[in-house]
Amino acid sequence: MDAASAKLLAAGISMGVGSIGPALGLGMLISKALESIARQPEVSGEIRTNMFIGIGVTEAVALYAFVIALILIFVA
Amino acid sequence: MNRKAKWGIFGLIALGALVLLAVLPGGAKQEFSVAEEFTLHPIIKLPSLAGVDLSVNKAVVYLWVTTAVLVALAIVVSRTIKKHPGRFQYSIEVLYELARDGIVGGVMKSGKATWFPYIGAVFFFVLASNLIGLLPLPLGEHWQPAYYAATANLYVTLTLALFTFVFTHYAGIRKNGLRYFVNWAPPSAPPVLKQLIWVIHAFGEIFRLVSLAVRLFANMLAGHAILGVFFAMALLFQNYLAALMLQGGSVLIYLFEIFVAFIQAFIFAILSAVYIGGALDQEH
Repeated sequence: MDAASAKLLAAGISMGVGSIGPALGLGMLISKALESIARQPEVSGEIRTNMFIGIGVTEAVALYAFVIALILIFVA
Repeated sequence: MNRKAKWGIFGLIALGALVLLAVLPGGAKQEFSVAEEFTLHPIIKLPSLAGVDLSVNKAVVYLWVTTAVLVALAIVVSRTIKKHPGRFQYSIEVLYELARDGIVGGVMKSGKATWFPYIGAVFFFVLASNLIGLLPLPLGEHWQPAYYAATANLYVTLTLALFTFVFTHYAGIRKNGLRYFVNWAPPSAPPVLKQLIWVIHAFGEIFRLVSLAVRLFANMLAGHAILGVFFAMALLFQNYLAALMLQGGSVLIYLFEIFVAFIQAFIFAILSAVYIGGALDQEH
């Protein structure tokens, strides 16, 4: 395998494997948040705010994989 | 003719049209490079100053447009303010209240009035920049419409994140004095562990800066790249049915991108509020 195709393969793998963790984390986070909103609808505003903070932090992990994939394709 | 027969005929015609689209010979094969959309060509060439290229390119024009729109919006809203708001004033008021009560009021304990101007300004700037990024402006080569977002540029988002970074420590030092740095580690921890925690926290501060910048940048870049890939595939397949489906898909992604523009502006502002609020009211 030459260097160029190895780079493309690595970019694909980094994006694919890097999305697994954040996807699971987002699923857990949102399901728990919905569960607690269903249990206590009166604090739904606060839960939603904190859920969005959590989404932002979790989602960033997948985006690091995206940035690394871009670096592998265009820069490295 | 009853309704069922009408729907049957309509379905047959639609199916026939789809089959016709699928077998119709497509147009000429065209190239569309997604990466080309994100390379910045200078529009107005300017000399570089101390190694910094000052040329005006797409990102700069998008920033100017964002600033102009925000300034015009602020002037118009503040001049035409009414006691019984119309639809326009009400939508601005909803966003303002989201920034004031939802973001600053919901997260920060003290210093709300001091830091709301900064966090509100960041919220509106990022939101306007994200939304204007969804409009194609004639800035491509030969003045073709090209789409880009100022926030899909790492330097812009890093600058915004640097503001938050500097203001976080400024707020912490102004409120707590030099105790601010000592308070990074819990005072009750044993000596060696305390220093270790302090070092980890110091690295964490740097990574907060990087993650704040990269999150916004990568979100906007990924959204625009996916739209670009859909357009490129529609041109590549040489098939009208595939092009129709891909265009339909790109419309859905476009709607999702409007949602992402709001969410990312909200997350950027709320994380800025969390960081500044954390520096003001230190837990340990």
